[in-house]
Amino acid sequence: MRTRVVVTGIGVVTSVGAGREQFWESLLAGRCGVSLVESFDTAAFGVHRGAEVKNFDAGAYLRRIDASRIGRASQFAAAAARMALADAGVEPDSLDPLRAGVSMGTTSGEPLEVERFNDAYVSKELDGVGPEFMGRYPCHLISANVAEELGFAGVNVMIPTACAAGNYAVAHAFDVLRAGRADLMLAGGSDAFSRITYTGFARLGAVAPEICQPFDRNRKGMIPGEGAGVLVLEPLKRAAARGARIYAEVAGYGLSCDAHHMTAAHPEGDGAARAMTRALEESGMRPEDVSYVSAHGTGTPTNDRLETIAVKRLFREHAYRVPVSSVKSMLGHTMGAASAIEAAVCALAVHTDRIPPTINLEEPDPECDLDYVPNRAREHTVNVAMNNAYAFGGNNASLVLKKCEV
Amino acid sequence: MRRVVITGAGVVSSLGDTPAAMHAALCEGRSGIRPVKLFDTTGLGCPLGGEVSDFDAQKYLGRRNLRPLDRTSRLVASAAQLALDAGGWTTEMRASREVGLVLGTMFCSVRTIAEFDRRALEAGPGYASPMDFANTVINAAAGQAAIMHGLRGVNTTVSTGLTSGLQAVAHAAEQIRAGRADALLAGGAEELCFESFYGFERAGLLCRSGEHDRHHPVPFDARRNGLTLGEGAALLMLEDAASARERGARVLAEVRGAGGGYDCTRGRDEAKAVKAIAHSIHFALYDAEMLPYEVESMSASANGSPRGDSLEAHAVAQVFGDHARRMPVTAIKSMLGETLGASGALQTVDALETLRDCQLPGIPGLEDAEDDFPFAPPVAGGQGVDCVNVLVNSVGLDGHSCSLVVARCDE
Amino acid sequence: MRTDEIRAAVKQSIAAIANLDAGEIGDGASYREDLQLDSLTILEIAVDAEYKFQVNIPDEELSNIRTVDDTVRIVERYLSEPASAAA
Repeated sequence: MRTRVVVTGIGVVTSVGAGREQFWESLLAGRCGVSLVESFDTAAFGVHRGAEVKNFDAGAYLRRIDASRIGRASQFAAAAARMALADAGVEPDSLDPLRAGVSMGTTSGEPLEVERFNDAYVSKELDGVGPEFMGRYPCHLISANVAEELGFAGVNVMIPTACAAGNYAVAHAFDVLRAGRADLMLAGGSDAFSRITYTGFARLGAVAPEICQPFDRNRKGMIPGEGAGVLVLEPLKRAAARGARIYAEVAGYGLSCDAHHMTAAHPEGDGAARAMTRALEESGMRPEDVSYVSAHGTGTPTNDRLETIAVKRLFREHAYRVPVSSVKSMLGHTMGAASAIEAAVCALAVHTDRIPPTINLEEPDPECDLDYVPNRAREHTVNVAMNNAYAFGGNNASLVLKKCEV
Repeated sequence: MRRVVITGAGVVSSLGDTPAAMHAALCEGRSGIRPVKLFDTTGLGCPLGGEVSDFDAQKYLGRRNLRPLDRTSRLVASAAQLALDAGGWTTEMRASREVGLVLGTMFCSVRTIAEFDRRALEAGPGYASPMDFANTVINAAAGQAAIMHGLRGVNTTVSTGLTSGLQAVAHAAEQIRAGRADALLAGGAEELCFESFYGFERAGLLCRSGEHDRHHPVPFDARRNGLTLGEGAALLMLEDAASARERGARVLAEVRGAGGGYDCTRGRDEAKAVKAIAHSIHFALYDAEMLPYEVESMSASANGSPRGDSLEAHAVAQVFGDHARRMPVTAIKSMLGETLGASGALQTVDALETLRDCQLPGIPGLEDAEDDFPFAPPVAGGQGVDCVNVLVNSVGLDGHSCSLVVARCDE
Repeated sequence: MRTDEIRAAVKQSIAAIANLDAGEIGDGASYREDLQLDSLTILEIAVDAEYKFQVNIPDEELSNIRTVDDTVRIVERYLSEPASAAA
């Protein structure tokens, strides 16, 4: 009998709040985290808005690590990890450290550290850069910092598959638990806002000037954001034995690679459809079983159109019956954290039978004619939720969560 | 349970671009560590690195436009081409059967990220390079290789510091065992660049030349005082044994087992650090259904780090006891430098060569091993070993360790 | 700057970025159909042209560029309008 894996804790750091409660309440209320960028000067840019995490004090959550010693993405990750464990009612010290692991994803790691390096470089003050560059920059430090904060000595890995990384990280944790290699896994993703990332997306012409409007006829692009999402995953047996609250069960996942273009998806949604198909196959489900889809839904003209094509390819007539929403309308695109945060959304949807809206949906696009849960959250029985994510490099990942029947 | 075999290997290294050439150089004690030409090392304390001199990706990739690829991507795409060719995976085959890629890398390209940002700082964000931006994500090299070679299967990037390459091989083996894939390219890559070189120097990790005659990082030597960085890419074609047999593939070796460990004190608690490495080895042996005394040779991760080499030696002593003295050991970072994400994969490729030709590279320059060096005295040049398996070890700077057992495949 | 000078410089950008022979790039060649370039390469060429000539072309206009001639014309227009030149 295969080990069944469940979600028992959720921790998040986002532009609309930190912690599961505040986060979920914000999403259901349609609250938007987008505002004028404050962390650097956008005067030279043609766009000025982002979904930054403001006034967040990681130090309030960390007990072992001094927050000022680690990079921003690590701060988010470690704080979200603490929140997730608390949410799950697990004391880190109660675990066998060798059987407690960390699997995290990211897009850029700690780009602010490169910015610091470069600021010194261009002002010819590189001598001022010390050991902290290597001590803070490499992306594997994100999962290392989470483990150090909690004393976890089990599996420890970073899977930096860009904007699909969260799903990849959760998928890996799922595999580790099913193979019996851990009693508990923290799985998620984290990314920090940076001028590097903002510059890149702005230069690609992908950034919307005002709001993120996934699937809207007049959508103009994505809005870069930041944050972290961490889930506590455990074998069902252990969760049940300790009377844990179970949000959802991880039913399966599917991965694929477009092998087509570095920054644009396959024009027929081929890779996306394959990832979804595999996820359903592994979960032992058919498309009609899916109650809700958390879309990648970045708000760019291309992504939303191609994603709709892929969903229709897979779901056929059922595509018009399954609600599909994008929380990026509220959180912006949190990069490597996105699909982890969205996995949390799926777990909460399954647990509460409520689904968050796609806000800013004012005018429907004839090419995007599905039910995107426009503007208002909805009560909806969610037996099965699918979380889709598509990344630069053509990395696609779909995760399926379902109600846990014991 | 499905068995995982290796049917091809591709390398781009400072000692050659075929496994045989690299291995021959290593067994002769030739070093790829030379004065760095890629960038100016003035003021960086150590002028040496294991640079892939005159690297020309066009040589491996033909007349395709390589402008969209940065150095790391070119290293990966080149090694991928070599591995696919070596394993007999034609373009037609890849069109009908999915091949995936699991790539380990520590930085992918910190240089591209830094240059992208510097251009924007100096010229304004409006003139930042879109092509460079595509290469600032850490999975860029894996994505570029997938596009170039039509790799539509599982495509994952693993980033666990120095252990990334070996971890990627372990991850790929696990995916094949679990039935998620039948054929995966797996390995690691890292480029030599000013930014990482500078960072390592500032962190006090590079060897300080001038304190003794030799500039080389000499693993396990009592006078070692740091590592030198290197670069390269190594990819292995991993396949499900049954599928490989079915297509008549030539099997180089089997991935018998893999394991990992993590020290959450990141080296601050020596006992815990040693325990994590020992755990990694134990786990790999357990996975391989082997007892310690059955390991016949070892490829160590040692790179000249005063602390790192010592921790690994203690862990080996803990796991193997007296058997360690009978176990021939090599540390090829003595000649390739510390190639970070590529290291574990390069070690694995060389281990396959050892299984093929029964030669194990020595550790040149090792004259004075530390008192508690647990192994049989290694020789400077290569030694003949008739071993049926090799334990490959990878130990990182921030707590990660990974171990892999490759073995001759008895069909 | 004369049109033929601009054209030569643009073709040089294309040649370098797309690994093509500048002499074989037709004046009216379309980036997608004739030169078979993907969107990222086309954008890189456009940004390179902007940088070379120190002009700033708004995103909406960039996305309307289909042929080598389009690039030459738009660069010409922005070069002759001092207010549109790089700030």
